[in-house]
Amino acid sequence: MTAVTATGPVSPESLLPEPLLVVRDLHKHYPLSSGLMGQVKMTLRAVDGISFTLARGETLGLVGESGCGKSTAGKALMRLIEPTAGSVRLNGIEITRLSSRELHAQRRQMQAVFQDPYSSLNPKMTAGALVAEPLINFGLGDAAARQARVEDLFGRVGLRPADMAKYPHEFSGGQRQRLGIARALAPGPALVVGDEPVSALDVSVQAQVVNLLVRLQKEFGLAYLFIAHDLAVVRHISDRVAVMYLGRIVELAPTGALFAHPAHPYTQALLEAIPIPDPRRRRNRAVLRGEVPSPINPPTGCHFHPRCPIATERCRVDVPELRDLGAGHSAACHYAPAPPAATKEMPA
Amino acid sequence: MTELGAAEPQSPAAEESAVLRIEDLRTQFLAHGGIARAVDGVSYHVNRGETLGVVGESGCGKSVTALSVMRLVPDPPGRIVGGRVLLHGRDLLELDEPAMRRVRGNQIGMIFQEPMTSLNPVLTVGRQIEEVVELHQNLSARQAAERAVEMLRLVHIPEPQRRVREYPHQLSGGMRQRVMIAMALSCSPEVLIADEPTTALDVTIQAQILELIREMQERTGTAIVLITHDLGVVAETANRVVVMYAGKKVEEAPVMALFDAPLHPYTRGLMVSMPRLDSPAGQERGTLPEIPGMVPSLSALPEGCRFAPRCPLAAQQCREEPPLKEYAPGHFAACWRAGE
Repeated sequence: MTAVTATGPVSPESLLPEPLLVVRDLHKHYPLSSGLMGQVKMTLRAVDGISFTLARGETLGLVGESGCGKSTAGKALMRLIEPTAGSVRLNGIEITRLSSRELHAQRRQMQAVFQDPYSSLNPKMTAGALVAEPLINFGLGDAAARQARVEDLFGRVGLRPADMAKYPHEFSGGQRQRLGIARALAPGPALVVGDEPVSALDVSVQAQVVNLLVRLQKEFGLAYLFIAHDLAVVRHISDRVAVMYLGRIVELAPTGALFAHPAHPYTQALLEAIPIPDPRRRRNRAVLRGEVPSPINPPTGCHFHPRCPIATERCRVDVPELRDLGAGHSAACHYAPAPPAATKEMPA
Repeated sequence: MTELGAAEPQSPAAEESAVLRIEDLRTQFLAHGGIARAVDGVSYHVNRGETLGVVGESGCGKSVTALSVMRLVPDPPGRIVGGRVLLHGRDLLELDEPAMRRVRGNQIGMIFQEPMTSLNPVLTVGRQIEEVVELHQNLSARQAAERAVEMLRLVHIPEPQRRVREYPHQLSGGMRQRVMIAMALSCSPEVLIADEPTTALDVTIQAQILELIREMQERTGTAIVLITHDLGVVAETANRVVVMYAGKKVEEAPVMALFDAPLHPYTRGLMVSMPRLDSPAGQERGTLPEIPGMVPSLSALPEGCRFAPRCPLAAQQCREEPPLKEYAPGHFAACWRAGE
């Protein structure tokens, strides 16, 4: 496995300050066994060597279809599940090698917001206690300071002081997500990993929560890893976007460039497939054929080659590295068009 | 508002050819000691060969309307308390259960968001299609088996002879939805009700399934009621659109008119509040226009217009219920201030 250069070469010796989050060659594999007595060993490569960086205050969108590994990647980099291999540095600290006590201390810096906050909120605790809980866990402030912090957070996420005494089931979906956000922000993280944080919400409420996330990011200088399947929301909220397919990042680019000039055939197909809410733009699209293959036995070479309209023999054999196309745009395709000025040959 | 696509049957004469017509349908649920008016006087129709899009958010009554048409509302706690559901002029609400059973699956097919909940996990997919055609079409076992293979081939399932012997759990989500469509269409129904048929699917699979539904409609002329929360799906597939909010139809229009000139403030709010892939570059990260507040509880509905508490145009008048009024041919809205 070669280290890939998602955002240009990064050397540890660099004198520039390191980005908030540096993920290098992250893997999450699940051993599977089948057959009589479990003698047939197989590996599910949910995340198969991904690398990216995230700066303070920046939003990176991580997109892809179900099973592409985007949620697993988010959990593995926070060590909510243990990564199989690779490096995750947060604020220059190697997360993957921390003891559980050291990890707990670092968790203050990285918090998560999930799709369905209901499943992550203790139904027997009041909303106020739920937001105070991380403060107590991390030993932040005395009772009075915590109370003030909780009140402040309720205001910032658009909940009323009276809501503090309510239980999770008494909230609507949108309010519950506001509560989940308040809880994530309580310990003052630098990084928030949002795993489909607005996907379960109705359209009219989704805009409220998207606006809230953007506002809170500015107020607290948060970095977001925004994991989602809805590309319109991702385009709205992200500075850069990484597209995953079968455990690998196939394209990573500034948001404007990715949507205006998608370089990878999979990204192109994904964008083509999204219905546009304008009946005048109804089109005869080129529908991507087939389905995502199993990550247990992924295709050789480029994982996308069996469905790719421009695949050649080379794609069946050679794994394309994520290569720099210039201007922060990189794609893992042998035939990704490179801007002439930025053409750069990578060693095979 | 005058420009209509060639494919849209939109003359008053076309309305005469409605296959399915719902009139003033009212369905209620008993919940927490109160009555939830889930569908509160909804009317719409769908013509042969037409796709009617029904849009709205959770709890607007779009799915309960469909279940009422199929007479599948669980009773108790639900009950259809008023209105008519006319299939070629015959009121389905008057039929006894055996007669209704001959309608379901035969004259009206239905597909759901999650095919796993409507497929039988212990029967092969072939057997499940065979049961439908044996029940409704008096086919022999052998003819039914042939029909099952033929239907799977029709919905582009590869290796249909092998797939008929598989169980639902052996298929991917997209393949299961293809099986549901094959089953729903196996008796050539006149109406197909598709309730969020692609919501659980990835976008590339969604594109395949929407293309399949269109292809099937061209082949059979089936009238389709497509229920969805996704305005993109509506824009791409529907000829006409009904917008629902809190148990009411608030707007109805030919698809071009709805997107060109939405009349109801709720419809307008929905359209501007969603981020769009086709918005000009550089407008990302701005503030999205929000619809404030949330959908009201169906057991504690506001007086008058149900959208008024969230509406930027709400006025004194809105305390009274606005009637549905036709503002342009085929374009209706229930709003006192729609014309402004």
